[in-house]
Amino acid sequence: MRSLLSIALLVCAGMPASYAQQDSDSDAGSKIVAMEHVWAQAYTVKDPRALARILDDSFICVASDGRQLNKAQVMADVKTSAVLQVLTEPMVVHLHGDTAIVSGTFRTKGMEHGKPFARRERFVDTWLYKNGTWVSLTTMVTLAAD
Amino acid sequence: MKTTGCLLMLVCAVFIRVRAQDGGQRGGTAAAILGLEHTRYNAESRGDRRALDQIFDDALVLVEDGLLATKGECLARVQSAGARPRQIVAETATVRIFGGTAIVVGTYREIDIGDGKPIPKRYRFIDTWVNKKGSWMLVGAGAAPISK
Repeated sequence: MRSLLSIALLVCAGMPASYAQQDSDSDAGSKIVAMEHVWAQAYTVKDPRALARILDDSFICVASDGRQLNKAQVMADVKTSAVLQVLTEPMVVHLHGDTAIVSGTFRTKGMEHGKPFARRERFVDTWLYKNGTWVSLTTMVTLAAD
Repeated sequence: MKTTGCLLMLVCAVFIRVRAQDGGQRGGTAAAILGLEHTRYNAESRGDRRALDQIFDDALVLVEDGLLATKGECLARVQSAGARPRQIVAETATVRIFGGTAIVVGTYREIDIGDGKPIPKRYRFIDTWVNKKGSWMLVGAGAAPISK
């Protein structure tokens, strides 16, 4: 996985951020991107424990095949994932007060039913600043078309 | 999906499930959010850029058919010429409220009716709305095709 990514942080005006007293926008964006990397790494090492802190209890995932998964299902999916490698690509964070929208793409490689696969997928994640930390509320993943 | 401009969208039925526990104020908010979803559908079907401009945040991030689109690109598509008509049937929608943030998760069916034989597809979507100065704005949206 890439060690560092180029991060474009776009701060949207018009809404006061309650987290701003403790956290600058750039810090918030960096923290969120760092957690995105932890998330990707969890799939590579098949260890869902880190996701317990990152994903909100009400977390919802829409996978690239259209399945809807909750937090427990995602964590279980990590353990049995066919993914062997996740390469994240540059992502963009849009801050809207206590809410952040992160979009980007990533590449996965793995083995499924004895056959190797490689995919490039695009995602949109929603994060919420809650109880002093950022947690992910949703992710929507679909096969990238470009 | 919503990649072409002149759209024929028919929202036939939406089964609303509001996750808000208190049912009162949050239920009202959820209903308002769903109203905005309908406003969006109707505005797209009419090619009403002005209406969409009012509910699309300037930093809107939209993922459709695996492509990323900005607010400007979305509005341009609505008005683009030569688009194929399509029919969209909303199926389910669940709203979750987190203070000034609302998440809508649901499904819809789309029938492309512009190229002879209609081709139906089903999608599952997630929309994120944020309350800005009293108005709910769409800040993030995406949909993935549902595999059979």
